[in-house]
Amino acid sequence: MDKAILETRAVSKIYGEGAGRVAALEAATVSLSQDEVLLIMGPSGSGKTTLLSIMGCILSPTSGEVLVHGRNISAYRELELANIRRRYFGFVFQAFNLFRSLTAQENVEVVLRMKGRSKQKVHAEAENLMERVGLARRAHAYPRDLSGGEKQRTAIARALAGDPPIILADEPTANLDSRTGRDILQLLRSHAKDLHKAVAIVSHDPKVEEVAHRVILLEDGRLQS
Amino acid sequence: MLWLAFRMLFQERGRLVITLIGIVFSTVLTLVEIGIYLGMMGNATSVVRHTDADIWIVSQNVPNFDFTQPFPANRINRVRSLDEVQWAEKIHVWFAFLKLADGRREQAQVIGFNPDTGIGGPWSMALGKPYDVKGGSYIIMDESSRQRLGKLEPGTMWELNLFREQSFKLVGLSREALSFTTIPVVFTSYNEVDRSLMGTDFEGQTSFIVVKLKDTSTVDEVARKLRAVLPDNDVYTKQGFIDRTVNYWTIQTGMGMAFFLTAILAVLIGGAIVGQTIYAGTIEHLRDYGTLKAMGAKNGDINLVILTQAAVSAVLGFALGVVITIASRHGIVSAGVSMQLPLLLFAAVFAIVVATCLSAAYISVRKVKMLDPVMVFRE
Repeated sequence: MDKAILETRAVSKIYGEGAGRVAALEAATVSLSQDEVLLIMGPSGSGKTTLLSIMGCILSPTSGEVLVHGRNISAYRELELANIRRRYFGFVFQAFNLFRSLTAQENVEVVLRMKGRSKQKVHAEAENLMERVGLARRAHAYPRDLSGGEKQRTAIARALAGDPPIILADEPTANLDSRTGRDILQLLRSHAKDLHKAVAIVSHDPKVEEVAHRVILLEDGRLQS
Repeated sequence: MLWLAFRMLFQERGRLVITLIGIVFSTVLTLVEIGIYLGMMGNATSVVRHTDADIWIVSQNVPNFDFTQPFPANRINRVRSLDEVQWAEKIHVWFAFLKLADGRREQAQVIGFNPDTGIGGPWSMALGKPYDVKGGSYIIMDESSRQRLGKLEPGTMWELNLFREQSFKLVGLSREALSFTTIPVVFTSYNEVDRSLMGTDFEGQTSFIVVKLKDTSTVDEVARKLRAVLPDNDVYTKQGFIDRTVNYWTIQTGMGMAFFLTAILAVLIGGAIVGQTIYAGTIEHLRDYGTLKAMGAKNGDINLVILTQAAVSAVLGFALGVVITIASRHGIVSAGVSMQLPLLLFAAVFAIVVATCLSAAYISVRKVKMLDPVMVFRE
């Protein structure tokens, strides 16, 4: 768990100027290693999602550096950042963000297709991922027919599609009941371990601490620990 | 990503149906409007197009084949005196009244031609031959006139009033000889019309002189010479007279503008409907597109999804529109309205429909380009 696969070095995100200046994140230095589950906690508005967006190369920091696999991507343009996201990241969202026109398995397939998997491999690989998250029987159901837990399992299968080394999860248990939330967290942790992923979870749910190897706390855009 | 575009398009059938209604409406209205316009222009120029002449000589300021102004027929001698002329023929075009069996009168366009050469006569016969009008009071009527005139039985007698009432025997039926004004076309011999004009102010006059050249490459030069020797006439090349006719009906009367305006409105309304449904779809899928962007999709990938949906909608809507147009063509033509649907028209309308749909989708493309993928983290 030593070698950092993802690092942010003194990243800040400032919105506005002068009197209207708001620092959403200030000089945050975070690292994430393979097989590690990192929990980013903090109250609402503390900058958790901003940090996660910067770690996921979705949001560019105002200052500081982001390193993915040792490569400084701070100066990358949008097209290059899209390639980095496609290659290195899998995302799990609080609102699941599943495509409602697609079945659960097709939601996984869309990422595999986007990552350039051959048509022959897409189906088999998606089927395998659905089985891995325990949804083989619900693979052909549409999101509207899935429970919250099933939706989040589908989202995890989608995040794992294409075997990205880093999984970033934003409040993955927020829309789930306590038991389902726990199941989802165990699923994330077991996959981080079995598949040697680096997982960062943003949450203010104390349950998540049970599965995290390390916890960092954000308050008013500043790291507390 | 094409796969995703198809899945999104066909999963949301309600939106697809609304989009298709817009495109079908646009396609049908554009095809029918322009088809009718082309049909009318085809009628207006049918005799000119089907007459094997290189030059048309008319009275000054005659704007088309239907609105003739007679001029001295002996001017044909000046025409024939030119070495370049292979032959020259006179054609009469007059409006007359046909008396129907029930006593009603219908206006008719009478075309007098030389039955020995067939120049200016019917070009397609359903029954009989153009030559059959020679040597007596014989007429050929167009089978399309049945709707207005009733039964057209060869051998029946018809009262035709061209300066004087006279009985004509129907000896043949032509095809596709329609006038712009949609009134029935009646063919008879040039000499028969000449006889009707005897004793009137129009005796010895003609409506057109048509000229065939020995060498068609000299047409512009010969037309110039004829203008010099016939200063009281207008001299047109065949294409020139067709263009003059089309120009008159399209621009001078404003009729063409009315047709094109309707067609343009159809395209715009169809485009607006398509644009609106595609845009509404984009807004509804904004989170999906944001998610795709967050997961590493490029703007180009998402644009491909949106534009593919627009293009597929365009193709489907156009195909349905074509089927409806072709299915309704028979009904439109049966109602006495001429309609031409050349392949080029289909190709042009297809290009317009696809371009309109893609343009309408462009607003959505712009929206996605500006989309910040950070939005996927917001609930």
